[in-house]
Amino acid sequence: MSAGSGAVPTQPYIPLTMSVSRFGKSRDRGASPSYRDRAAYALDAQLASLASSGDDSAFTTLVTRFQPAVFRWALMFASDPDEAEDITQEVFVRTYRQLGEYRSDGPLDAWLYRITRRAATQMRRTRNRRGRLALSSAAQPTRDVYTTDPGGRVDRERAASVIRELFGELPRRQREIFELVDLQGFSPAEAAERTGMKPVSVRANLFKARKAIRESLLATHPSYRELSR
Amino acid sequence: MTCEECLSELATGSLREMAGDSTVMEHCATCPDCSRLTTLLRDREYNAANVLNNLPPISNPITLAETAVTTAHRRRVGRVVVMITGAALVVTIWFTAATLILPAMRSDGPTTSTLLTETIPLSCLSPQQAADIIDPYLRTRGSLYFIPTSGISAITVRGTAAQLSKSKDLIRNFESDRSAACRSTPPASIKIPTASAEPPEPKAPPEPKKRPQPKKQ
Repeated sequence: MSAGSGAVPTQPYIPLTMSVSRFGKSRDRGASPSYRDRAAYALDAQLASLASSGDDSAFTTLVTRFQPAVFRWALMFASDPDEAEDITQEVFVRTYRQLGEYRSDGPLDAWLYRITRRAATQMRRTRNRRGRLALSSAAQPTRDVYTTDPGGRVDRERAASVIRELFGELPRRQREIFELVDLQGFSPAEAAERTGMKPVSVRANLFKARKAIRESLLATHPSYRELSR
Repeated sequence: MTCEECLSELATGSLREMAGDSTVMEHCATCPDCSRLTTLLRDREYNAANVLNNLPPISNPITLAETAVTTAHRRRVGRVVVMITGAALVVTIWFTAATLILPAMRSDGPTTSTLLTETIPLSCLSPQQAADIIDPYLRTRGSLYFIPTSGISAITVRGTAAQLSKSKDLIRNFESDRSAACRSTPPASIKIPTASAEPPEPKAPPEPKKRPQPKKQ
């Protein structure tokens, strides 16, 4: 398999939702897909079609386009970036096997998100089953994989600490909704569409998540005790 | 807006969508505590989003794709192997059942079509006694006997031809034997005179009547 030998040019994938709505101006929600969106959907569908017919270079292009997005989604379900890497790998294995089932009437990233969600859930169950083994000293990795990239190690440790601080005690569903809406910039309706939940449930989970996450800081306000009475 | 209202809004509201002219921001412009808190909250969520959204995946996408393809192929082969193994297991179980277990079960006892039923009349033995005699010989599946409840002196036996023949022979032997069944042991309630007991004295023969002798004149 060789990269870049396919007919479709390789380019880094930057999700629209992530690129325009990170604490910046919110994008136009509820509007029909723009020409750029439709072109991207068509390109994705073409790549998926080529890859499902056995074109490995098209699959490589697909992975190159969607790897950052899938990794970011995997971070929502993982406890640290290393686990997110494992989930990402599993997602693309499943994607390769299930590409024939993809119908091009919907965006490919929504389909990939569902695969990510299922893969993460299944891996979490497997990990819980093997929890005792993982706790043993023999299961701990002896090799430091970041020796060649100290900067990457710092970034990942920072990400892991952010995950621990913000989402340590948060239920999985609330964490997913909070990340999708508040950190990645999806609207509650989009989050509902991706997670398969009702918009009302999304809003309820979002409120609970925000309250739980912000409570520790809000408690530092002098009037907080009076409010909480 | 009061501080309580501001905190209530900050607790569940979207920090990204708070415009500069919103009531919360207007309150924050006059309240240093709320302003500090709002800044802290926004900074924390902004930094979290920044760290998580900009964290690049460590694996090379080309390697990732190659690994995914290899793993997918391997799993496909593994699935085929599992399916073939499962099918072989099913075939083995079926073959074993068909060649070993079922014939063994069939030979375990005669089928109902090979069983015969016959009623044997009894002249001496009671039906229960006849049943006690033939019971040990009727041990295969489907073999049994019926004891009539209406007092008829007969027993109905169901079994193979060999069992029926054996049962008839046994019953015939016991019935023809003088010391068996009805001819032998009387009920225990009847007292049997023992040999040591004294036999009843035989009646004395009546004395012959003496003829009256004629008187001598």
